[in-house]
Amino acid sequence: MKMSPFDYHRPDTVDEAVALLETYGGDGKVLAGGQSLLPVLALRLTHLGHLIDIGRVQGLQSIEVDDDGSVSVGATVTHARVERSDVMAAAAPAVAGAMPHVGHRAIRSRGTVCGSLAHADPAAELPAVALAVGAEMIVQGPAGQRTMGAGDFFEGYLSSALGEDELLVGVRFPAWAPRAGWSVLEVSRRHGDFALVGLVTTLEIDEAGLLRRPALSLFGVASTPVRVAEAEQLLDGNAPDPALFAEAAKVVSGALEARADDHASSEYRAHVAGVLTRRGLAEAAARATERAGV
Amino acid sequence: MREITLRVNGRDEHAVVEGRTTLAEVLRDHLGLTGTHLGCEHGVCGACTVAVDGQPVRSCLMLAMQAEGAIVETVESLGDGDGLGLIQQAMWERHAFQCAFCAPGFLMTVRCLLADNPTPTTAQIKEELSGNLCRCTGYASILEGVAEAVAKLASAAGGANDA
Amino acid sequence: MREQIMGRFVGARVRRVEDRRLLSGRGRYVDDVVVPDMAHAAFVRSPWPHALIRGIDTTRAAAVPGVYAIFTGPDIAAITNPLMGMLALPGLYDPWHWALAVDRVRLVGDPVAIVVATSRAVAEDAAEMVDVEYEELEPIATLAHAHDPSRPAIWPKANGNVVYAASESFGDVDAAFAGADRVISETFRQHRHANQPMETRGTVAEIDADGNLTLHAAHQAAHVLKWCMAMCLARQPVWMSVRDMFRQREQTKAIFAGAREFVRAHPTMMKDTQRMMPIMLRQIARDPMRMVHLNRALLGLMATPKERLPRVVTGDIGGAFGSKMTVLREDIALCAAALRLGRSIKWIEDRNENLVLGGQARDEQVAVEAAVMNDGTVRGLRAKLTMDAGAYPGFPYAAPMFCRFIQTMFPGPYRFDAMQFDIEVVSSNKPTYGAYRGPWAVETWVRERLFDVIARELGISRAEIRVRNIVGPDMLPTTMVTGPTLDVRMSAKTTLERALEVADFEHWAEHQAASREQGRRLGLGIATYIEAAPGPPGFIDAVMPGFSAFAGAEPIHAVLEGDGSVTVHTRQVPHGQGHETTLAQVAADELGVPIESVRVRYGDTNFAPFGIAGTGGSLSAAMAGGAVGVAAHTLREHIVDIAADLLEASPADIVIEDGDIHVAGVPTMSRTFREVAEEAMRRGVVGNTDRLGRGEAIRVHRDWNGGEGGWAQSTHVCWVEVDLETGQVRIPRYAVVEDCGEMINPAIVEGQIRGGVAQGVGAVLYEKTTYGEDGQPRSGTFMDYLIPTTMEIPEIEIHHIETPTDIAYNYRGVGEGGMIGAPAAITNAVEDALADLGVRITEQHLPPTRILELAGVIPERTDR
Repeated sequence: MKMSPFDYHRPDTVDEAVALLETYGGDGKVLAGGQSLLPVLALRLTHLGHLIDIGRVQGLQSIEVDDDGSVSVGATVTHARVERSDVMAAAAPAVAGAMPHVGHRAIRSRGTVCGSLAHADPAAELPAVALAVGAEMIVQGPAGQRTMGAGDFFEGYLSSALGEDELLVGVRFPAWAPRAGWSVLEVSRRHGDFALVGLVTTLEIDEAGLLRRPALSLFGVASTPVRVAEAEQLLDGNAPDPALFAEAAKVVSGALEARADDHASSEYRAHVAGVLTRRGLAEAAARATERAGV
Repeated sequence: MREITLRVNGRDEHAVVEGRTTLAEVLRDHLGLTGTHLGCEHGVCGACTVAVDGQPVRSCLMLAMQAEGAIVETVESLGDGDGLGLIQQAMWERHAFQCAFCAPGFLMTVRCLLADNPTPTTAQIKEELSGNLCRCTGYASILEGVAEAVAKLASAAGGANDA
Repeated sequence: MREQIMGRFVGARVRRVEDRRLLSGRGRYVDDVVVPDMAHAAFVRSPWPHALIRGIDTTRAAAVPGVYAIFTGPDIAAITNPLMGMLALPGLYDPWHWALAVDRVRLVGDPVAIVVATSRAVAEDAAEMVDVEYEELEPIATLAHAHDPSRPAIWPKANGNVVYAASESFGDVDAAFAGADRVISETFRQHRHANQPMETRGTVAEIDADGNLTLHAAHQAAHVLKWCMAMCLARQPVWMSVRDMFRQREQTKAIFAGAREFVRAHPTMMKDTQRMMPIMLRQIARDPMRMVHLNRALLGLMATPKERLPRVVTGDIGGAFGSKMTVLREDIALCAAALRLGRSIKWIEDRNENLVLGGQARDEQVAVEAAVMNDGTVRGLRAKLTMDAGAYPGFPYAAPMFCRFIQTMFPGPYRFDAMQFDIEVVSSNKPTYGAYRGPWAVETWVRERLFDVIARELGISRAEIRVRNIVGPDMLPTTMVTGPTLDVRMSAKTTLERALEVADFEHWAEHQAASREQGRRLGLGIATYIEAAPGPPGFIDAVMPGFSAFAGAEPIHAVLEGDGSVTVHTRQVPHGQGHETTLAQVAADELGVPIESVRVRYGDTNFAPFGIAGTGGSLSAAMAGGAVGVAAHTLREHIVDIAADLLEASPADIVIEDGDIHVAGVPTMSRTFREVAEEAMRRGVVGNTDRLGRGEAIRVHRDWNGGEGGWAQSTHVCWVEVDLETGQVRIPRYAVVEDCGEMINPAIVEGQIRGGVAQGVGAVLYEKTTYGEDGQPRSGTFMDYLIPTTMEIPEIEIHHIETPTDIAYNYRGVGEGGMIGAPAAITNAVEDALADLGVRITEQHLPPTRILELAGVIPERTDR
């Protein structure tokens, strides 16, 4: 199909972009990479009067590490840049590690990290990563700038807490702990497809060899990415071993009311969530051990 | 409607486009470069793949206006005068394609891959090409074509070194 | 391009001549066609699966700037003849229907109006503004719905929602079952999936200054499209047609003379037609309007002046797998609109349209009973085939034809004493069931599944049961229980034996057990089949009595051009098969010229030899290959005769090597092809046709009826590894052992096999056209209809066997075989991997959820 007609705007600054959103936000959307938005328009699933292309807006193209070790990624930084970035590999390895799962090479050439977050597809990797590590969304609106934790940002299926007149200008990933490990696993129908079930695992192993701050962030199973608090509590403060992981896995699949669709039943998703929990914990623990040993 | 200037295959091209005109459409309909094909128009099949600033891009998922100021290359840029370029030659020798509707997308994906990494492993090739769909071949012949292109590149490089 | 083997092109991996333009991006696919002042069309389509149309208002839409015109269903119905299927099968109800829906829509996407505008985008904008008032009816979305008498009939004159029913028995079925040690029964369900070539369908209807129509098409059978379109467009009152026929007396006389000639040339046809008369009369009695329309259409067609008949031109085609063989309702509306407006219009189907409405097939269920002896011999079969043909029948022929193929091929290369075959075709609110690579493939899937099921029940090996029942060389020649001959070259058993070696089948159980101990769950599956490519002489008559008169022989025109080059005109329409190269290989060998001297032309009804068929049915190698062989041979004789005269030698002493014609042993006594051509033109020698084209020196027309014909046969072996944690199935190895006779171009043969297997992998693990119980399609994008990528297709080994023979042109087809064998081999392997869990596979679509359900790892879902 061809898209229905819209007015195309290309602001040069964030303020201009916000002003345009203020005027047109009800009938318009931000265009960054377009890899999520343009297919929706091309299928005429939605009609918009205005697209606000932030591709040339100044100040949104950087990857910056702060003194506290947190790393900020601007709104127009592409997946491809993150994938190649040594900075990201060191400062936010869970984010960098998610990249090979994101679509295909050509999607990553254009798609942006912030675009994926703002699009809020519950089957996408990055919202789940953001939720696992406790990323902060940096939002600019007519009233100024505010931040929002990932936990508050994802509201529903393709729906975030961004107001119609607000722009996600960046995301900040907290500093990656010295004894932390990560894992991004997914099961999809084909290579590169959206996940049927996916799991982002992050954790730390303290000096006593016990698990700290475990995060199990599932994607593809509900209308947003979800953390499984019950399982995390089970893990916290205990020694990492396969039996513990298996127990956590049972909690995850038992607790989950997963969505069902033509590609997978809810029973399937719940079962595989458990499988990925076992595998993800093992992988994250191994990485944590390796990192701590360095 | 707006007039834009695009740099396509080494030349500055002008076109009058709407907001909704995609890069694929401006190439095919306005500039007559029909080598780039539309297979799905929703960004999955890869038949429309072109190179933008050296990276592979699904031209159906890029607005023409977004491409202003970028360097765009299409399959028509791969030839060697009237002859086949190295990648095309390799594909020809290996009987890579059948109906060849998907071929331009594959060729541009391969072009970007080899420019970035002239010595990819078989696994890397398979993965890099997994975003391009083919319905005729089952892919084996295309993968052989890429392997042949890699070999040709290597011997060209080797030859240059010998000189 | 110089590859040759022992001086011959045939048999060599000659690089394709068409690749030069295709790889350069200079292919000319239908969406690349641009003609002056071309408008664009989009269709208004029904959002409901089943509804009455109460009203349609185009006012808002017509006001959109850039819209030239909008035609509704009634508008088009007033200027066209309806689509009328040409199959006369007893028990078939084949409803005539208009190009656009007039009073009723019968599936989601049913076109109700065509919008013509300055661009496709504008046409779509306007299409959204056409207001249609629908009154919903209960949908028919499943086989259960189709059998439910409380649901509305999609075609009121059908038998509820059953449109075809037939029953045939071969041999003494009762005796076979009475004498059996046991009866094993099972019901197998194959799922609907879609052809999905990378290029969708579409047409440019070009109207020239004189108002004549040229269709730039992507179509597998150019003449079929031309004549069907001509018939649908030839709409005028009967009295006007009669008047015109009288005024065009010469043409009318020629038409009747041609018909008489055709009947004379096909003496058995009258007998077959007589059998069809009561069937046709019954059809008319059921639906008298059919007669009215048919009458008007035929007279209109005969009254159309020859020059005003549409011309069809095809360029490059981006695949089809059978989906570009019928005449689309959209194309008829497009051409009618173009003629009415006097302007050229392009319509290219988009992927969403193609997924929702394009080629779909395989929607079958087979309930089968086998009369089995304890040693594994299967004496007889009773099978009931139920096919969901969708709402609209294909034009000019519909799905019931495939049922006939399924029935005929059901025994495969195995020996059965008797078979009972019942067929039922139902309609539903789904797209037309069309041809898809090996349309009869369910016969292999069910039969090969059944052998595995029987083997397990009896506790004998799956190899053993096949070897026991298969027809071996010592039994040849023989006939299938359904009639067709199995000749001495039928080597299915040889392929099976070789495949069992390749598979190391005798050690499989140990290997599987050892892997299981290492935590790996492997399975091995085998499937054997034969394919009528082209089949034995008379095969098509066994399937559809009388059909060979129409399907007929394969024509080729071989031409020596004035400049000495050679052109081969074919009715084949390649869309990936490489005919420009393969047919040139055959011609070049026969003529002794370099392959660059031969050009293959196709797709233009002004030049291509007439045929009812185009490209499909795995026939081109055998039929066109053979036809090119005989035509080139005849052309060579003419060339040699002239050269002999010029060289004052005897024709027996003339040799042709690499384009040089000379006296044997005396290379200096030579002539070029060009010199021979010039001499031919001087003499006015024409060959064996009655006229030469411009610039042609010699023109030869030969038909090839397939000669000895023959079978293609193959055994597929599939290894799988099943992960019972995630339900994913991996294929670590896949092998094909095949015998397709002599290969014209091995690289092309292998490509066809691998492509077919890839589609089989897709069918089992990834592809399903999904419908809700509400009749809504749910796989309308490539996010939901999953075509396998490089990562999902295994490496496929191919082992060629060629059974030696003296028969000339021993080429047999492989186009479809990969897709016939693969689903069976793969599902057999999956069952083998899960056999220890007591799993029996009776369905063909096995996504991860289903694998885990079958294995008992998760409970079965209740929401679908």
